[in-house]
Amino acid sequence: MKINNLTKEEVLHNLVTSENGLTEKEAKKRLSEFGLNEIEEVKKTSLFIRFLKQFTHFLAILLWIGAGLAILSEILHPGEGMLTLGLAITGVIFINALFTFVQEYRAEKSIEKLRLLLPFYVKVIREGKEREISARDVVPGDLIILSEGNKVPADSRLIDTTYLMLNNASLTGESEPVPAQHKPCEGEIIESRNIAFAGTTVVSGSGKAIAFATGMATEFGRIAHLTSAVEAGLSPLQKEIVKVTRIIAFLSTIMGVLFFFIGHLIGIGFWENFIFAVGIIVANVPEGLLPTVTLSLAMGSQRMAKKKALIKTLTSVETLGSVTVICTDKTGTLTQNRMEVKEVWTAEKQGAGGKEKWAEANTLLKTAYLCNNARFINGEYKGDPTETALLKYARENIGELQSERVHEIPFDSERKRMTTVNKILDTPPFSPSPLPRFIAFTKGAMESVLPICKYILRNKEITLLNEASKKEITDAYHSLMDKGLRVLSFAYSELQTPDSEPEKGMVFVGLIGIEDPPRPEVSEAIKKCHEAGIKIIMITGDASRTAVAIAKEIGLAKGNPVVIEGHEFVRMSDKDLRERLTEKEIIFSRMTPKHKMRVVSILKEEGQRVAVTGDGVNDAPALKKADIGIAMGIAGTDVAKEASDMILLDDNFATIVNAIEEGRAVYENIRKFISYIFSSNIPEIVPYLAYILFRIPLPLTIIQILAVDLGTDMLPALALGAEKPTEGIMKQPPRDPKERLLNLRLLTRAYLFLGPIEAAAGLFGFFYILKSGGWQWGQMLPSDNLLYMQATTACLTAIIVTQVANVFACRSFRESVFKIGLFSNKLIFIGIAFEILLQIFIVYHPLGNMIFATAPIAANIWLILIPFAVFLFIAEEIRKIFFRQKSYFKGV
Amino acid sequence: MYKKIIAAVNEHINSEISARYALSLAQTCRAKLYICFIAEKGMAASSISMAEDAVKRLFMKAREADVHVESITETGSPLKEIEKIVKHEGIDVAFAATRREDIEKRFYAGTFARRLSINLPCSVALVRVVHMGRLHPDKILVPLKGRNGHIKERAHFIAKMAEAFGSKVFVFHATKPITKFLHGEIHITPIEWEKRLPENIADFMKHLKKHKIEYEEKLLPGAVARSITIEAASKRHDLIIMGASERSLLSSILKGNPVEAVLREAPCDMIIFKPFHENK
Repeated sequence: MKINNLTKEEVLHNLVTSENGLTEKEAKKRLSEFGLNEIEEVKKTSLFIRFLKQFTHFLAILLWIGAGLAILSEILHPGEGMLTLGLAITGVIFINALFTFVQEYRAEKSIEKLRLLLPFYVKVIREGKEREISARDVVPGDLIILSEGNKVPADSRLIDTTYLMLNNASLTGESEPVPAQHKPCEGEIIESRNIAFAGTTVVSGSGKAIAFATGMATEFGRIAHLTSAVEAGLSPLQKEIVKVTRIIAFLSTIMGVLFFFIGHLIGIGFWENFIFAVGIIVANVPEGLLPTVTLSLAMGSQRMAKKKALIKTLTSVETLGSVTVICTDKTGTLTQNRMEVKEVWTAEKQGAGGKEKWAEANTLLKTAYLCNNARFINGEYKGDPTETALLKYARENIGELQSERVHEIPFDSERKRMTTVNKILDTPPFSPSPLPRFIAFTKGAMESVLPICKYILRNKEITLLNEASKKEITDAYHSLMDKGLRVLSFAYSELQTPDSEPEKGMVFVGLIGIEDPPRPEVSEAIKKCHEAGIKIIMITGDASRTAVAIAKEIGLAKGNPVVIEGHEFVRMSDKDLRERLTEKEIIFSRMTPKHKMRVVSILKEEGQRVAVTGDGVNDAPALKKADIGIAMGIAGTDVAKEASDMILLDDNFATIVNAIEEGRAVYENIRKFISYIFSSNIPEIVPYLAYILFRIPLPLTIIQILAVDLGTDMLPALALGAEKPTEGIMKQPPRDPKERLLNLRLLTRAYLFLGPIEAAAGLFGFFYILKSGGWQWGQMLPSDNLLYMQATTACLTAIIVTQVANVFACRSFRESVFKIGLFSNKLIFIGIAFEILLQIFIVYHPLGNMIFATAPIAANIWLILIPFAVFLFIAEEIRKIFFRQKSYFKGV
Repeated sequence: MYKKIIAAVNEHINSEISARYALSLAQTCRAKLYICFIAEKGMAASSISMAEDAVKRLFMKAREADVHVESITETGSPLKEIEKIVKHEGIDVAFAATRREDIEKRFYAGTFARRLSINLPCSVALVRVVHMGRLHPDKILVPLKGRNGHIKERAHFIAKMAEAFGSKVFVFHATKPITKFLHGEIHITPIEWEKRLPENIADFMKHLKKHKIEYEEKLLPGAVARSITIEAASKRHDLIIMGASERSLLSSILKGNPVEAVLREAPCDMIIFKPFHENK
């Protein structure tokens, strides 16, 4: 039993109130118990705490320890330059924290937008007197007065109504007003006509209602709760980055500790050993990775914006690329939402458009004209797209009609029909015969209109509607729906008086099939999705046959798709639904937006990466729950836009597919620059190993490592992030969730192939300078020795020079650079120019020398390092040839 | 199991609604219902009158429902007086409403509800009233943790509540996601989760089956409190019945308190049930 099932007296009794309303004292008590009637955001971790968390994960802790020990070392052993190192590591922690935070940050304003839909003041009756109070003070049991234009402040049971019409768009997405009544209703609260929900609007009429739920207990509060509490969780990229950083931190720690003990065993002093351990950690950590990923995502979002997909959360750029299922609306997304009458059917004959004037069609079109709220004003049709299409068709075929509307029973999604009572005037071209003066016209879904018809108009005569006629109508209805048309049925009845019951013993006049043409680019986009292994689930309010016909027309369904209707969906258990969702082709028909979240939740529980489209307020929870919530830029409400991760500026399905392609390219590009960044880790680590194992001066200082990771590598890596999508990227299935960003193949290529070449170049440059300067094996040099500084500078320069070749090598994993076009990514050259200029600054500018402890080297040193770069480039090209051949023979 | 049920009523409407739950349970269990109002010293006359009216309404309703009912009005300390009645009459289960001020206090510390649940020598059902429109709950959400004591009594209480309203029970277990240090969180589908259903919960469901109660189970990884409130809101559950928190104050401060968090965000009415034996 629910509040909607009760009589007025029972409602008053159960809510312990009366027709005089609550007393002020009681209202105050209830306010103290139930709280203010307002929408609250659920308690979440504050932005500041979220920012602080970036400093406390495993890698950050490791770096903090490194920085702390460096500073401690400076205190105990001043003059070793450890303070600079400590500060530099702290800087790295802050930079990484900031960029990770920027990736995750998202302005949450959906609750603010929801709050705007509630009223500020409301009229209530308390102690028998009408008062205006703040809507926040409404409590359960309050008697609320509703009149035209009012917003409803709380979920309330209507106890008195006078032609009350409510617009429930904020809850149901239906823009048509719904008639409300105060009698007891069976069924659920949410579907009851005697309930006025918070956030809805009184369109006309008046009424009195008793509040039974306020604030977050209302339906509106439920949407707010879900919108604010539901979280999609970490994006696939964020999860991968967490794994990558943990692996790196783990490896660094193991290496640092292991070599610290080896150093200790071979008799190296504590502080030397300590510098080494910190150096190993710093060399292993790709300090520039997170800033580069963030900037690359930002660049990806810019490119998507140009394709009319506005990205709100940076990580969504990559998440799009991993999507495995798209749950999409039909009207306006797959179709153009430009309704057009395509077919009319009467018992006499059937036709397609034209100016046929047979009697039934004439009456049918008059019904379509008069039972219609669209208007033709100043040469333009205005109103709901379906009604506009009907008015346009009727007007073009039978001309203007004059009539006076006496009253209307508006359309609503429950009754699925609307009726108008019209007083017909004897003005041409309308003839008073065969219709008398007061006529009720009805239009709606066939299952709603046919049961109220007793007769049928056939060959200008009204005959009894028998079973044969019903079958004939049903067949015609199915035939029109199978053509993908939205089919409406029409009927009329003659009334003795304007107050006679209008929807009784009606005359069935015919059917009209309306087409909502698919968007021209959608078929191609769906084909792309199928090739890319992405499943598309259509969720529509349309009837099943219409949905299936459209699905077949656009290529969404090829065989016989599984169709689940709204009523069946509601009764289905999660287990059954889970099973049905595994079907290859699936369509949900006669659905409302409130059902979307359940579909999305189950798909996510099954491990799918889900994108969902939505435009209404009640779409917001599903948009939040999905991996990618996609709001419509044109038709979408502010709440939906705020709850989404991406806004489609053109409401077009094809734009989603373009964005997915871009997302896949972003992921591939992230792997490219990870290869690039990780390659330079080896020439950073090897000098430390050589230092500890062979007792040579340290070939590369920690600050110089940071110069590579956070300086010279950055722009070339970013340029790799701007590589165009590889050919065939949308012909591959979505990437396996088990596939790692940092997989063994990538690590092998970076650590065992590209990295060692760079390390060889670095050590060659280092020893070349030392040997040229007369250095003897085993001789240790002070850190401010010019020869030593030149040697480390040569080592650093060797890394930079080989990284220039490496940036070309990393542009693809298997294709030759010459095939993808040496000059096809101009940003690469800008990146290289930056890299070289920065290195020139480090090597030749006094400020660069001071910061990075470098010293100028002769130009010929650069030249003797170039062969290493050429070798790396050629070796990589040969590797790619082998790789392609192997793939070819394997049939890949 | 329940032969004598007491419902504490005061001048607040939520106590009356809480007592209605007690009345429905009494009707199903054919138990005797005690409706008690304890007027504290210095209580305003208007408040006393309101509480007495509530007692009268409940009394009449119980009589209409053919429930053996007795009303008790006393003055003094509510806790002491109720404790006295419980001991004297041999009450099996006591119903009381939580106050908004209770849930605003961290960890329930020092609240009447907490003291009641700790001190009464019987099972205690603390009712948080959120929604006055769902008079008879059709869908009851029962969040269970992995390790539960007194399964039999819990199952009995929930089965009887479900029987009282003809409700369907949804057993829900939110568990910690499975993680590995180097792999992070590992995704497991609901069917795989079902295989990991804790024994206690499976046992609980066996008891429900014995009571012939229609139920469904769901096991999901995630933050406990948030998962419960999201499940309740998204599936439009009418009532949540949850076990009382067993966490100490220190443990609550360190690890958080799911019961407290659910109480704050519950989108529907909620009963925190503490079987008597848990006090022993």
